[in-house]
Amino acid sequence: MSDLAIGGVMPVAHAPARTAVVYNEAVVRKFTIAAMFWAVVAFLVGVVIAAQLAWPQLNLGLSFTNFGRLRPVHTSAAIFAFGGSALFGTSLYVVQRTCRARLFGGEALANFLFWGYQFFIVMAALSYVMGFSQGQEYAEPEWHLDLWLTVVWVLYAVVFIGTLLKREEPHIYVANWFYLAFILTVAILHLGNNVALPVSIYTAKSYNFASGVQNAMIQWWYGHNAVGFFLTAGFLGMMYYFIPKAAGRPVYSYRLSIVHFWSLIFMYMWAGPHHLHWTALPDWTQTLGMAFSVMLWMPSWGGMINGIMTLSGAWDKLRTDPGLRFSVTAVGFYGMSTFEGPVMSIRDVNSLSHYTDWGIGHVHSGALGWVAFISFGAIYYLVPVLWKRERLYSTRLVSWHYWVATLGIVFYITSMWVAGIMQGLMWRAYDQFGFLQYSFAESVNAVHPYYVIRLIGGVFFLSGALIMVYNLIQTVRSPSTARREALPAGVAVAGE
Amino acid sequence: MDIEASDLIVGIMMAVFGLIGLIMAAGATDNEIYVFGLSLLGFAVVFDFGLIRRHFDKAELRQKALRGEADHV
Repeated sequence: MSDLAIGGVMPVAHAPARTAVVYNEAVVRKFTIAAMFWAVVAFLVGVVIAAQLAWPQLNLGLSFTNFGRLRPVHTSAAIFAFGGSALFGTSLYVVQRTCRARLFGGEALANFLFWGYQFFIVMAALSYVMGFSQGQEYAEPEWHLDLWLTVVWVLYAVVFIGTLLKREEPHIYVANWFYLAFILTVAILHLGNNVALPVSIYTAKSYNFASGVQNAMIQWWYGHNAVGFFLTAGFLGMMYYFIPKAAGRPVYSYRLSIVHFWSLIFMYMWAGPHHLHWTALPDWTQTLGMAFSVMLWMPSWGGMINGIMTLSGAWDKLRTDPGLRFSVTAVGFYGMSTFEGPVMSIRDVNSLSHYTDWGIGHVHSGALGWVAFISFGAIYYLVPVLWKRERLYSTRLVSWHYWVATLGIVFYITSMWVAGIMQGLMWRAYDQFGFLQYSFAESVNAVHPYYVIRLIGGVFFLSGALIMVYNLIQTVRSPSTARREALPAGVAVAGE
Repeated sequence: MDIEASDLIVGIMMAVFGLIGLIMAAGATDNEIYVFGLSLLGFAVVFDFGLIRRHFDKAELRQKALRGEADHV
């Protein structure tokens, strides 16, 4: 398949005659709705726990509203529910369009993917609130939920790979490579990090096969690669399809996208130990993690350059298409956070930044700026297409969303940078007698104003998402976004 | 009865999961497994009913189309 075909500028007259393919768009629509629903839930719970950090009375003295239980609800809702639903939906859309093939496995299997994944999300959230957790970050669900997710994930791989195998295009478009890396690697990570022995099949408690520093090493091999493959590779797949489509331009350099792919997936695997600097983990392992993290800067920026330069010759669209503005800004945030990450992985920088709110700021510049923005861009593109509407209800509201959300991110990350660096400096300050200059409680007190600013940033971001939900509902319902003329399927597909 | 293979496979798989859920809930020693087991059972039952409903909806549409009534559906 040529790049031009992905850019959507292949002249229809030159397109080879093809048989019509009826795509399964119902499952994509469901995942799109789920992504927006979980986005609002994730941002709302984020706002609640941000308020709890600023004013601890808001824990309400109840076990199930405690920060410790709501925090994994927030992270899982953001990463797995919102991000996961967006990835499922877009990957199933992209693989069908770029392979010219209906999803493998039939309607029942596609429906199982959707409802099975939603079941996992709801049950996981419920278990956190009830106080059940493996105590491993981003891998909190206990063994029974891990097994359920394994079933769903294996079937997801079957559907995706099955569709690739029955493709009618000779070439596998690069977006599918990224999605495939995301699916396969997350499966390996999930299985590797969750090898645990349950006390019995009637008890939620289980024990991991590794303990101590080995457990920590495996956990952060998983944890960092969850960032690398769930939150990066999958969303890069989104970038490589939706930015060219929205801009109507081919990918800037297809060769660079291949170099980007192989170098990124090779290097990410080794970077996990940077989460364990200055711990009992052997020094050489920490150095290895640090070195690979610094090297990761190059493939990451290769991808960023490829994404942004795809706009060559179409920069004017940023003025008229605020959905595309989301996507391109996301790539900018991707570049920023993939520069910040390697810097923070350097052991001496890490001695200041680790355990502070700088880490939280870094994570959110990636999660809000990259993951959420690239998803918003894709969803703004997808909704009119999936619901056969002429256009979005209001581009002005998209613009409002963009600026409110961007302002929210700026509040969030700047306040966390200041708070984090201040915490790091306070914790390492000594007086002339060699005693610590500040107690821990003093550092907690000092960051209070920044926690309030962070909360305001979160409220802005949530407000933007609510504007988006309203706009999308109106796009589907309002008569002002009248249906397009139906094109013969073969012609429509050629333009994809 | 013209049943799609994927409907049948997924339907049987869900029935097995529902049974596993029921067994887990029956022997549960904590709230988590009890809630999970019952929810899995409920999910499996509703999903399988959905499969059955869609099957008959499709069969009805096919029959109407055969009778030339498709335009009125």
